[in-house]
Amino acid sequence: MRKVVHKIFWIWELEKEQAWINDMADHGYALVRAGRFSFEFDDSEPGQYIYKEIFLKGSSYSSKNIEYFKFLEEMGITEVCAINYPATCWVYLRALKEDYPGGIELYSDVESKITYERVMMWYMLFAAIVCGLGAALNLFMAFTPYNGVSYLNLFVGIGVLVIMIFALVDFIKRVIRITKLKKERKIHE
Amino acid sequence: MAQQALTEAVYYILLSLYKPLHGYGIIQNVNELSKGRVKLAAGTLYGAINTLVEKGWIDQLPENPESRKKEYVITTAGKAVLAEEYSRLKELVDNGRSLMEGK
Repeated sequence: MRKVVHKIFWIWELEKEQAWINDMADHGYALVRAGRFSFEFDDSEPGQYIYKEIFLKGSSYSSKNIEYFKFLEEMGITEVCAINYPATCWVYLRALKEDYPGGIELYSDVESKITYERVMMWYMLFAAIVCGLGAALNLFMAFTPYNGVSYLNLFVGIGVLVIMIFALVDFIKRVIRITKLKKERKIHE
Repeated sequence: MAQQALTEAVYYILLSLYKPLHGYGIIQNVNELSKGRVKLAAGTLYGAINTLVEKGWIDQLPENPESRKKEYVITTAGKAVLAEEYSRLKELVDNGRSLMEGK
């Protein structure tokens, strides 16, 4: 039976969202569709699947990404669904848990890990800049003298500002992670 | 300029492709060759295969319509690179042996 759950995960909560989806799979609910605020699950054997979320450049329909999904399928990893954003996509992959008991790890070398972290880092910075502009615009409009104080603009402005701070924190975390990986690369592969 | 060192993954992928293999076959073969030490992840292998095809060190075999899986094999250029890497690794081992074991 299909079960729909409405839930919000913010862009910096990738690990949290993935852990939740895997927890659902452990309880017999296998993700089949994901939207921006909703998730659809089908019944499955508890612990049958393991999920992994990844971020890719380009649309999930681009020939380059379709090639990649075909390759992953040979390894028993299937694309379940994807959410497309401008020039990027968020992809939900899954495999049988018995094939990947420790989780789906797509990168085994430092170089690929750095490349992936770098893509995520720019994504977070982009999100922070967009939120920053949104916050600035709303706060400016909230206090324009000829309008009086607009509380709606004030609340939206502060809300977007908070999102910007979280995105910035995630951006900094990734910069630190990349620096550590680069240090490791100097002595190890 | 001498050839730069290959990564462990690339070295083992090239070695594995002395016989034609598809992606999953490469992962299994590398795992066996290294006695379980080197576990190639799918994304890393995908990136490596694309780069090696671009460099002309491996070739994709014509697709078999029955299996739908792409198979790859090492090229002459790939074998030359591997031979050079083998000499480099041998130098490392020889020097290690002579200095650490005094042989």
